[in-house]
Amino acid sequence: MTPLLEARGIDKSFGPVKVLHDVTFSAHAGEVTALVGDNGAGKSTLVKCIGGIHPIDNGELVFDGRPVQVNGPRDAGELGIEIVYQDLALCDNLDIVQNMFLGRERRRGLVLDEDTMEELAEQTLNSLSVRTVKSIRQQVSSLSGGQRQTVAIAKAVLWDSKVVILDEPTAALGVAQTAQVLELVRRLADNGLAVVLISHNMNDVFAVSDRIAALYLGRMAAQVRTADVTHAQVVELITSGRSGDLGLKNGAVA
Amino acid sequence: MRAGPSQEDIRRHNLGALLRHVHLGGPISRAELTSKMGLNRSTIMALTSDLTAAGLVREELPRETGRAGRPSLVVRPESSRVYVFAFDVGPDRLAAARVGLGGAILDRRETARRRGPFDLDELAGTLAGFARQMRRKTRADTVCVGAAAAVSGGVRKDDGVIMFGPNLGAKVVPFGEELGRRLGLGLPVSVGNDANLAALAEHSRGVAVGVRDLIYLHGDVGIGGGIITGGHLLGGHDGYGGEVGHMVVNPGGQPCGCGSRGCLEAEVGERALLEAAGRAAARGESRAAARDGLPEPGDGTRRQGRDAVRAVVDAADRGDIVAQEALKRVGGWLGLGVANLVNIFNPEMVIFGGMLREVYLGSAAQVRSRLATHAMGPQRERLRLRTSALADDATLVGAAELAFAHVLADPLEVLARVTG
Repeated sequence: MTPLLEARGIDKSFGPVKVLHDVTFSAHAGEVTALVGDNGAGKSTLVKCIGGIHPIDNGELVFDGRPVQVNGPRDAGELGIEIVYQDLALCDNLDIVQNMFLGRERRRGLVLDEDTMEELAEQTLNSLSVRTVKSIRQQVSSLSGGQRQTVAIAKAVLWDSKVVILDEPTAALGVAQTAQVLELVRRLADNGLAVVLISHNMNDVFAVSDRIAALYLGRMAAQVRTADVTHAQVVELITSGRSGDLGLKNGAVA
Repeated sequence: MRAGPSQEDIRRHNLGALLRHVHLGGPISRAELTSKMGLNRSTIMALTSDLTAAGLVREELPRETGRAGRPSLVVRPESSRVYVFAFDVGPDRLAAARVGLGGAILDRRETARRRGPFDLDELAGTLAGFARQMRRKTRADTVCVGAAAAVSGGVRKDDGVIMFGPNLGAKVVPFGEELGRRLGLGLPVSVGNDANLAALAEHSRGVAVGVRDLIYLHGDVGIGGGIITGGHLLGGHDGYGGEVGHMVVNPGGQPCGCGSRGCLEAEVGERALLEAAGRAAARGESRAAARDGLPEPGDGTRRQGRDAVRAVVDAADRGDIVAQEALKRVGGWLGLGVANLVNIFNPEMVIFGGMLREVYLGSAAQVRSRLATHAMGPQRERLRLRTSALADDATLVGAAELAFAHVLADPLEVLARVTG
């Protein structure tokens, strides 16, 4: 199966600091790919390169088998790549529908097409089997952390997206809400999307991922199938870049 | 001797098949039915008009399709008119629901059950009372077409007698018969094992729709299982199949309620987790407390049940080392049990339900590490691990499907019987 999204040989420096060295990463449709690594390993930078926030110095992005240029978030959006950042970027003073369509409102002539937007928002939440949200006209300020995460994810899915990248979606949540968000993440992939999950929590990673990509000091130590590795191996990849036959050899990809 | 199915047999089969499509898939147009069932349009029309006349489905014009041509009529289940009663008897909860054709839960009642001996009178009385309350609220033109119960125990296939249920305190109880008598609807009450029925529920309406080979693991006090292979539930010779909780994973390990040691249930069940986390009531204490009707200990922590399990997972998440170790330990044994099952049955999906949902999500690293080590490569390659989509309703939904089973087998006969 060819990956839906592939980053090949990505280099990225900020001034004299080289943050990504020849990083190769892929995400497949219908799968959750966990992106793991210590703080400063380059996870967020890699994601921002894919999302068009940072221009890449070297390497290429391949989407659905063809090389693409991503020169900004708008390009990424047009390809169907959506990123949900940790801060979620929701507006507290607006309701769920308004947030989901923020900046991309539907119009009928001169006025907003509230009915259609409401219906689309409802359909999206239903397709994700979201039952935790009572009314889609609720203000976001009244929602719990898990519900906010849900709305942010639904917003990313609304636009017929193909790749959804989630940056630490469970970091600030309690156990019950973490479980709901993890199940939602799994459902996104089961509905056919390519999902990239950035997480530090190994239980979350093992609970929902199909593949694990481990970054170590700006290099891709290994990208493996979750079914084939143990917790100890993944921890080794994260902390030392290698584990047995897996990982980096003398600072280079094996 | 007959050479093949008669015209009448074929018609009955087709009526059931069409009703099953509407029941499981929801509203569907005649045109789609034609292609899904591989029957011609006039046959579909004849079948739907029979079912409509019987009051099982109704036909409507679809909402605007935006396409050219005469729209095909949409066939909908008569969800608010035709219903069944579904019951669930767990160690900690009694639940009853009125479920409409199509699977919608129309009404429900629930109460906590105190752990202790199985009091058939009280239990059947409570559930029948719930059913009466719900029935009183229905319109006059509604019709109840069946009833079924999910119980946490081994149920004999032939007569629905609960043969063993250590976690319910039950031993050889003619539960279905008694509940049927109390309901007074003139309907038999089918009885099934809760994990078996939850497996069927996930298979027909949950996370495993379209999956033909799956294993559902249900955790409460014990660990139950439902195994579906090739689309069929593995019942075994007498109906006790799927008791994966008593697979020995740790010879000489924790003592189990069944008399053995080191069963999956003894290493992964609620007591094992709470003991490992240092939160269990002393052995015998909870039983004595239940018998004497004493309240829970006054320190604010529940010593048993789903809340106690959640509290351990929550504490582990907040950094409690003892709770983390307990979850790791339990997750390791769970992974070993799943690895054995995966090697034997080669399922496409393993589903964690009941309290195992929390345990799996909280210890997935251990569970999958064990799988990677002990399950054989080809078996685990395409294996999917999922949590229950129906959550706490899985057993009730499964019971409802059991109650609908004979309606789907012969729709017109059943309806004639209950209304005639």
